[in-house]
Amino acid sequence: MAGGGSIDELLAAARAQYAATLPGKVAALEQIVRQAAWPEARRAAHKLRGSASTYDHVALGESAGAIEEVLLACSDTPDEVARAKIEAHLVEARAAAEQACGEAR
Amino acid sequence: MKDFHQGLTEAPPASGDPRPVLAEGEVVAETYEVRALIGAGGMGEVYEAHDRVLNRRVALKVVHPGVAADFLLREGRALAAIAHPGVVAVHTMGMHRGVPYLVLERVRGLSLDRLLDERRGRGERFGMVEALELLVFVADALAVVHRAGLAHRDVKPGNVMLAPGGRVVLMDFGLVLPYADRAGHQTVAGSLQYMAPEAMSGEVVEGEANLVDVYALGVLAYELLAGVAPFDGGEPLELYRAKTRPQLPRVRDHRPELPPILDDFVAQLMSAEPHDRPAGADVALWQLRAMRTQAGEGGDKHRFSVLIVDDDADMRTALALYVQAAAPDADIESTADGRRAVRAVRRRVPDLLLLDLDLPDINGIEVCMLLRGMRLGDGCMIVSVSGRATRADVELLQELGVQSLSKGPALMKELVELIQRIRPGMSP
Repeated sequence: MAGGGSIDELLAAARAQYAATLPGKVAALEQIVRQAAWPEARRAAHKLRGSASTYDHVALGESAGAIEEVLLACSDTPDEVARAKIEAHLVEARAAAEQACGEAR
Repeated sequence: MKDFHQGLTEAPPASGDPRPVLAEGEVVAETYEVRALIGAGGMGEVYEAHDRVLNRRVALKVVHPGVAADFLLREGRALAAIAHPGVVAVHTMGMHRGVPYLVLERVRGLSLDRLLDERRGRGERFGMVEALELLVFVADALAVVHRAGLAHRDVKPGNVMLAPGGRVVLMDFGLVLPYADRAGHQTVAGSLQYMAPEAMSGEVVEGEANLVDVYALGVLAYELLAGVAPFDGGEPLELYRAKTRPQLPRVRDHRPELPPILDDFVAQLMSAEPHDRPAGADVALWQLRAMRTQAGEGGDKHRFSVLIVDDDADMRTALALYVQAAAPDADIESTADGRRAVRAVRRRVPDLLLLDLDLPDINGIEVCMLLRGMRLGDGCMIVSVSGRATRADVELLQELGVQSLSKGPALMKELVELIQRIRPGMSP
């Protein structure tokens, strides 16, 4: 853990640092989806869901959670309808990540 | 021992004959020479006897003439199924002059109710560590009884013997019943003060008789820590009402210096609703051990240690910061997978284990089962931190004595509160 600063400052710094990584995380998730590596996509979405919501990026957490739920519901073999849902949630996730990143700057 | 098998009230010998069943000097089964009457109750008597063959003292339990002996057989069989230093041992059983008898280990020592009385008489109370250590012993013995498929049904200070060498022994299994004895559990028997509400009303649900013992453990814990019983005596109906009130007495009403987590734990044990109690003596035991470990480490001298297990580096960072927010001096270790977590606990048991459930190799629930099964994390509080735990997961974790938190914006507040409940006042 980095030394110096109050815990509030450390938390704020960690949130900002995390927010800065969000567009990259969503881009990585999109990349995995493009490769149709569905189990991997589900795990990535799951991680993003947990960490984004914990760092108080609720909208992004919900979008990532929705992707995870779609993949869980189809046992990692999405049909056309499920893929369309995933795409829609990715769009939401991208927007939420950009917003979180912008706010943290 | 004076209320040995008394049921709800102290009853006179069923035969109406006040004479002891056995005479001093009488030899039972050509082996056990009766020395002295050491306990008597409504259903029978306990004698100290000398085993002439093995040259040792034993306790000889008999029923009054005319009293059905089935409970003695039940007690003998139950004790024969258990071998544990915390449970009185049975040697044999037989019939003498038409009187069934049970030969038990003679446990010498001081009963917990006498010790409580002595302390009260001197205006003293049990220290937190001392009380937790006693409770760990009682819960350990109870867990063994429950694992044998039995419920003791009369857990109270008078049935806990403090024997030499620090041994704590659960005594008097006269009311013991297998879980499956549905009719038996509808029969109201035991000591009212320690009896769970559902046992008082004869409404113990089949397979949940262990929760009656968990309740009694709570009353015992309350008495040890608060120095007074949680409920005043009185009529059964009055007592029942007191036990089922929404606002139950709290240990911290008498001992505000005790940690809130211990206060909450005792209140949970005494919950009127059986399902609100810890799921069994095992679960209570794990929690007690975790509290004792922390209390016994000496408060400020002990550096609070936390192991964080999560495969997401961002979550590990967040959790470490939250722990720091609550405990700036905490010793924090983190790892990304379950196997490493088990190895880390084997190396050093942390005070708190924060465990993600979705891990890449063995998942969080499997880690908990491994730790519990190998008794590696007994002195450790385990908290699952998950983004997607199902109700079934949470219930299973409860059975393993694991508290569940959810990933999300409220996690920091919940975790900080949890750590603050564990830590303040933990010094003995």
